[in-house]
Amino acid sequence: MRLLWAIPVMLTLCAGRIAVLAQDSAPPELRSDFRYSFAAIDDATFDSSLRPPLPAAATMLKDPSVTLLQNQLLLEPSFTLRYRSRWSVAASAVGRAESFHGLSVAEFDVPSGDAAAAAALGTALEPYTGTRTQLRVKESYAGLSAGDFDFTLGRRIVRWGTGYAFTPAGVLDPPRVPTNPTDRLNVNVGRDMIKADWVHGPHALSLAWSSAALMPASANLHDTIAFRYNILMHGFDTSLIAGDDRAGDAFGGVTFTRVFGQAWELHGEGVWREQGAVVMGAKYTTSCGVSFIGEFYTPPNIAYYRDMSISPSAGRQHYAFLYAGKSRLRELPGWKQWDLAASIVENLNDRSSTVIFDATRRFGSHFSSYLHLEIPEGGKGSEYGATPYSAASSAGVRFQL
Amino acid sequence: MSNINCVLRTVLLLLVVGFLLTCALVCRAATLAVPDAEALLKRSDAYRNGWPSYVLRVKITHYESGKADEDKLYEVSQKGTERTYVEFLSPREKGEHLLMLGDDMWVYLPDTSRPVRITPLERLNGDASNGDVARTNFSVDYSAVYLRTEKIGAENCYVLDLTAKRKGSTYQRILYWLRVEDARPVRAEFYLTSGKHIKSATFDEYVTVNGRSRLLRWTLYDEIRHNSNSVLEYSNIAPRELPDKLFYQGRTDRF
Repeated sequence: MRLLWAIPVMLTLCAGRIAVLAQDSAPPELRSDFRYSFAAIDDATFDSSLRPPLPAAATMLKDPSVTLLQNQLLLEPSFTLRYRSRWSVAASAVGRAESFHGLSVAEFDVPSGDAAAAAALGTALEPYTGTRTQLRVKESYAGLSAGDFDFTLGRRIVRWGTGYAFTPAGVLDPPRVPTNPTDRLNVNVGRDMIKADWVHGPHALSLAWSSAALMPASANLHDTIAFRYNILMHGFDTSLIAGDDRAGDAFGGVTFTRVFGQAWELHGEGVWREQGAVVMGAKYTTSCGVSFIGEFYTPPNIAYYRDMSISPSAGRQHYAFLYAGKSRLRELPGWKQWDLAASIVENLNDRSSTVIFDATRRFGSHFSSYLHLEIPEGGKGSEYGATPYSAASSAGVRFQL
Repeated sequence: MSNINCVLRTVLLLLVVGFLLTCALVCRAATLAVPDAEALLKRSDAYRNGWPSYVLRVKITHYESGKADEDKLYEVSQKGTERTYVEFLSPREKGEHLLMLGDDMWVYLPDTSRPVRITPLERLNGDASNGDVARTNFSVDYSAVYLRTEKIGAENCYVLDLTAKRKGSTYQRILYWLRVEDARPVRAEFYLTSGKHIKSATFDEYVTVNGRSRLLRWTLYDEIRHNSNSVLEYSNIAPRELPDKLFYQGRTDRF
């Protein structure tokens, strides 16, 4: 009799156990996950009225309005392999083949029989002639995730700055070029570093030591140790940054971003490195999807921030950046494949500026073509007026896999 | 005479008690007939969520005049009701990621290699917006009021009026049809702050995953351009333990 009661009880218990197991138990994660991408870009850039820096012996161009054509083919593979969400390995590279046409020694009035002048001229024109190939490792690193910690070793692109065109707080970032803030050809290279991150709730701590040993001398980098504390609180994404460049300056800074309402985003950076540098910016989005970005930037005139064309005695500089753009021009066939953007960056001290236009057209899932135009304006001694061409027009095709 | 009075008083008393009882029963029946809109909405969310944390893939195919125009693929990781992480897998958008934490949203673009804070208006971009993909908990974003019951095809449906209760909501107002028997979504209409009817949706196909009925396919119709629609298809739906680090806005290690 007792056995008869036990059977339904046992069956009930078994059914309940099966239901509990089937209900919310998360299945084990995939052992490994792999992501890859490949991009190929063919870019042709025309520099109009190019004025290359010439030695004194070369008096004048026979045709002053020489146009230089630079053709680049860029191949950009990348992959990431993650094992059990714990170990990761990633690498990306850019292979570049570039050739120049339109400028040669024959374009110049070199005194006849002056071999030294001809040789000096040839050396001066070397960056604008011939064909070159280059392979750059953008990123190559291994990562370990352990609880709340992440560890990274290798070359990584890290961006701590919040500014769009200017970022004094991007102490580990690749150089930000205000006329090309998005690195449209994707040629930026990371820094070699050891980095540790701790993330817990809204708090995050990062500690990085970056070496400049393998970087080219022209990059003007130092070994850097940097620390960042980041927190998201009441909608403010805020970071405190501190660190030191070996044989350079100690620095400290703060960044923030905040969205207000439906359409406004504000961001800013303040950094102290010998003197203070500040960026304040805003983004506004209209109901039809047009984005406007404005930034004001004031760096001190010290070696870390100074552009080559700026005199050390010129004093503190002030810059303004304005951008307007829309992706998917209209939600209509034939129109939504278009993205348009225009921007201007101006040095408010010497009133020189560069205007940039971009148009992109997508074809299917893998191809796109683009037009890019840069027009510098300003006096010969000004920052953007010293640009050695009157206009740079680029047209290209991109294939993405 | 006194006997007749007693009888009359008794009859009157019975009539009064009977009347009061009838009124009470009618009131109770009326209360029972009006469904709890908030409970229905929460129950309907289970068809698009269902687990504390999970991963799925979303394929969006856009049609123009009945012909497939473009398609996109996303992997969506969701933890709780406030945290969603979307990885863009289509060749054109490869390397892009989207993170939503409550009302805050970041886009990670390979060109900029850092999280870019975006505004609510930037979410409404494209035929199926980021919000259609990433925000699937209507009970968190909207307050619900029961409007009526009506028949859609062969289905008896409750009609709920949803009003946005937070700025992170993709739409200002939604009319939502839920099947009476199990609160399964049948249809929806989406309205902007201006009151413009911008999209409609039909919830077309369901599948059972781990004993739970889950939405498999739904269609968004453009109410501005009536020959345009997007089909969202879910696949690889699975509950999964997701680390909090995945939802950290400053993380640049996006896969």
